[in-house]
Amino acid sequence: MAYASVGELLSAATDGDRQAWNELVDRYGRLVWAVIRSFGLDHATAADVNQTVWLRLVEHCADIRDPQRLPGWLATTTRREAIRVVRGQRRQQPSEVVLDVPDRSAPAVDELLLDEEVSREVYAAFGHLPAACQQLLRLLTAEPRLDYATIGQVIGRPVGSIGPTRARCIAQLRRLLDTAHNTGTRSHG
Amino acid sequence: MVEHDDAQLLAALGRAFDAIDPPPEQVLEQARNAFVWQSIDAELAELVYDSETSGDMAVRGSDTREMTFRAPGIEVEVMVVSEHHRSLIGQVVPAQEAAVELLHGGGAVTSRTDALGRFAFDRVAAGAVKLVVVTVTGTRVQTEGLVI
Repeated sequence: MAYASVGELLSAATDGDRQAWNELVDRYGRLVWAVIRSFGLDHATAADVNQTVWLRLVEHCADIRDPQRLPGWLATTTRREAIRVVRGQRRQQPSEVVLDVPDRSAPAVDELLLDEEVSREVYAAFGHLPAACQQLLRLLTAEPRLDYATIGQVIGRPVGSIGPTRARCIAQLRRLLDTAHNTGTRSHG
Repeated sequence: MVEHDDAQLLAALGRAFDAIDPPPEQVLEQARNAFVWQSIDAELAELVYDSETSGDMAVRGSDTREMTFRAPGIEVEVMVVSEHHRSLIGQVVPAQEAAVELLHGGGAVTSRTDALGRFAFDRVAAGAVKLVVVTVTGTRVQTEGLVI
């Protein structure tokens, strides 16, 4: 099962093969989660959105004819659900929910046991980026990879803007890293 | 640090997300469990109206969410009311007598519509739910699953 193609997994799941379904969750669970978290949703809301997205896939497994489209389908379905809950929350607490709020529920960097100093520093710097850059970089690092067209749909921007924005956000990330190094801190400031 | 190119920086950031913010196991388990409704043999009625995304001011700020699900020849209107407890009130359109099943995490509850097609489920637990309508002619229609 581990080597089955996505197309085979989708059609097996459509035929009721639970193993195939679990394999799809294993392969794409991180991707859906990354897209949800790129919208800055807290854990409880993120869990609800995640559940809804997978319910949608159960219902539409048979409709996805081109398996290559699955990551894009999952990403845009996730976007739709994330935006829906954000709007619903805004209605109930108009001032408390902002679409692209940075992730506040992530643990502090000090608590991490990252094996790599580089990842640790990059993550600390990431926390200081503007929300739009945080969202884009979260999407660009999602696995399996999302293409620029899909990322454009998720953030509601033209596909042609993704490359330049990516370059700008990475340049900003690099400046934050340099600053952190020059000041000799781990960029908590 | 300065020597890393863009791709290497992104890769390092990706590894950080994997370490810091992976999908919680409970979230993956819910995704696996979504499969329980895979075998439902019923036409899918898709969500065509949702008060949460419609910009409809009438329900803004209230604890009521209204939705319409549509399949060929039939609509299911559903209102989720969250006050003291959560209720699910709805109507099958065109009005008709039908059996309505509410599927939820723990199983199913069955009810019937009145002559006007109306139905209600009281004290519905939070979580994933789905309605299955069975008409007198035996047509089976399922709404898209919802998390309430």
